[in-house]
Amino acid sequence: MADKGRPLAGIPGGGSPSSKGPSSISDQTRGGFFQTTFGRQTAFGQFTARNWALLFLILMIVIFSFAGPGFFDIVNFQNIIHLSTGTFLLAAAETLVVITGGIDLSIGYVYGLASVLGAKVMQILGAGGMPVPLVIVLGSLAALLVSILPGLGNGVLITRFKVPPFIATMGMWGICNGVTLFLSDGFMPVMGAPSQINDIGNSYFLYIDPSKTVSFFSKPPYITLTSIRNIRRLIPNSLFLTLLVLFILGFVMSRTRFGRHTYAIGGSMDAAVRAGINVDRHLVMIYVISSFVSGIAGLFNLFQTGIGNYTPSGANYELMAVAAVVIGGASLTGGKGRIMGTAVGVLVLAVLENGLQIAGISAFYRYIGVGVLLTIAVIIDRAFPDMF
Amino acid sequence: MHADSVNKTSSLQERLGRNWIAIFIVLLVVLFSVSARAFFSVDTAQLIFFNGTEVFLLAIAELFVIITGGIDLSVGFVMGFSTVVSSKLIVMFAGMGLSPLASILAGSIVMMIIGLLPGLVNGWLVAYLRVPAFIATFSMLGVTHGISELMTQGIPTKNLPSLAGIIGNGSFLYIAPNGALSFFARPQVARGQTVIAILPNMVVFAFAFILLFAFILGKMKFGRHLYAIGGNIDAAIRSGINVKRDLIKAYVISSFFATLAGLSYVMKYITGKPDAGANMLLEAIAAVVIGGASMAGGSGTVGRTILGALVIAILETGLRIIGMQTFMTYILVGAILILAVIIDQVFPNRNR
Repeated sequence: MADKGRPLAGIPGGGSPSSKGPSSISDQTRGGFFQTTFGRQTAFGQFTARNWALLFLILMIVIFSFAGPGFFDIVNFQNIIHLSTGTFLLAAAETLVVITGGIDLSIGYVYGLASVLGAKVMQILGAGGMPVPLVIVLGSLAALLVSILPGLGNGVLITRFKVPPFIATMGMWGICNGVTLFLSDGFMPVMGAPSQINDIGNSYFLYIDPSKTVSFFSKPPYITLTSIRNIRRLIPNSLFLTLLVLFILGFVMSRTRFGRHTYAIGGSMDAAVRAGINVDRHLVMIYVISSFVSGIAGLFNLFQTGIGNYTPSGANYELMAVAAVVIGGASLTGGKGRIMGTAVGVLVLAVLENGLQIAGISAFYRYIGVGVLLTIAVIIDRAFPDMF
Repeated sequence: MHADSVNKTSSLQERLGRNWIAIFIVLLVVLFSVSARAFFSVDTAQLIFFNGTEVFLLAIAELFVIITGGIDLSVGFVMGFSTVVSSKLIVMFAGMGLSPLASILAGSIVMMIIGLLPGLVNGWLVAYLRVPAFIATFSMLGVTHGISELMTQGIPTKNLPSLAGIIGNGSFLYIAPNGALSFFARPQVARGQTVIAILPNMVVFAFAFILLFAFILGKMKFGRHLYAIGGNIDAAIRSGINVKRDLIKAYVISSFFATLAGLSYVMKYITGKPDAGANMLLEAIAAVVIGGASMAGGSGTVGRTILGALVIAILETGLRIIGMQTFMTYILVGAILILAVIIDQVFPNRNR
């Protein structure tokens, strides 16, 4: 019972198991076929195992480039990045929690809550006749501040009340879902936010008109609807946000004491306690960060779409985020995982979806694809246990 | 599971803590009865069980896996898969010239067999390839979701024989005003007279299977093995239990019950769609945890899980009767789920 956060083989953050990880079953099945195929010692085997997600991503890009016209195109790549903003941020948030050996199932609905709440506040303030910039700032602040609360709740429940992360965040999932449903009057998108937010969310850094000029952050003012097709747009604003968040979290995890403590807690909770780390406070901070980053993602979704979106049932954003994290090389038992790995994991999922669509294959295959990839990720991870 | 008989005498406070779930159910019923006069009736009681059939079945599905210390995230979409495949099968059999009853029976039975497959794969991944249950079953969630979307192409299935709806929404026993009994068929009565319907068919269908598996879990060797595996897997292996085979069985049972939930959905709503059970994962796991099972495995019983599911079913139907919207259900289920774990830590002896 002492190592409360140590997850069981099956469930991350499941409770308080007595044996560590999956070592027990592993005695029965030593020697998966990957060892015999690639050979643990060979350089090729090692490289493949360590970077298989990246290799797979490159392979997919090559295949889709031949299979679908218009896939290998800067516009399409920018679309992939732009449409994956939410997934990038959610998966980055989830990475921190997974490294501690926990799990955060509430992020999908925190995402929806931030989007709907921001839209609702902007709608009300805008109707009150407040100037537009103030409406946008106040609405965003409200969404971001409220998105801290679920994380705070999760952290306190997990550390003070010893609720397993799986249960605590699943309960929060239900609560956030309910509140979002209430704010959006039952599945209705929340309209009425100022239209200027779309310009922030969907603009590009560079607009190049081949014949004339270059302009930054907004379309050249003289542009007409007929000539808009000639403009090359480069680097969506969303890319800046994604890179900023990934960079900050990546830096924190790999270069700071906070990051080292996070890995230490995930590696061994007991050792972390004995090393004098304030584990409880640290975990609360991790869940707050996770929730807050999800809130940023939801808010940016509002900026992209212009409406407050209720998270649709069956979207499974939180599970997709976990999938990206695991494909990116993290282990659900904690102590392992990198932000950059997660970014590759997100790209694998995004390129898969986009490529299938462009190749004219039903996009529904992506659900199957995600499932198969995820299992492969773990089997490879299991086959090379001591390498990551 | 095994009682430590040292501490037989327990204070009143402890007894209350251990049975808080029953007390909570009574409180809920009293609350709803006070706020809506129509609530306290046989009809409402039956409605609660009727509306909750899928939650009951999915909770039992989840229970078998949670006892082993695993988790099955795929139950909701295996249920959706089952609604899609079974309704397609029934329509196909009907198109081949079988009578409505025969095609419904044939479709359901074939579906029950197909429905073992996701569990077989889950169990194999977990037991033999050592994939964590969370990942294996999430993969299966994706695969079943994808297949059922491909089969429906976004349009819920239709053209099921109307007999399906008659079976799904009918009752086992009808009492006519003159006291005559009739089984399965609603008697024709004069206008204004009410027929008392007892035991909805789908509830009977669900509880037949639930009771059978309650017996298997509670009384048979296989059931004891599941608790042993969840309690301490190393000890289970050393004591000679065939852990891999039993784990596969647990996942197969889980996906079997998810399939049953899908069949019940098809009969009740005469349609099938991929996301029929999408939102029910929370409810299924909540029911098991409210019923006192630990996510770490080794504890939980069918009876208590049914009580846990009953809490959710009463909340859903009750809130609808007093006119609250669905959002309250989500909030309350989430809150009670968390509360259940906290209360269990205050009174740790509940499962003994």
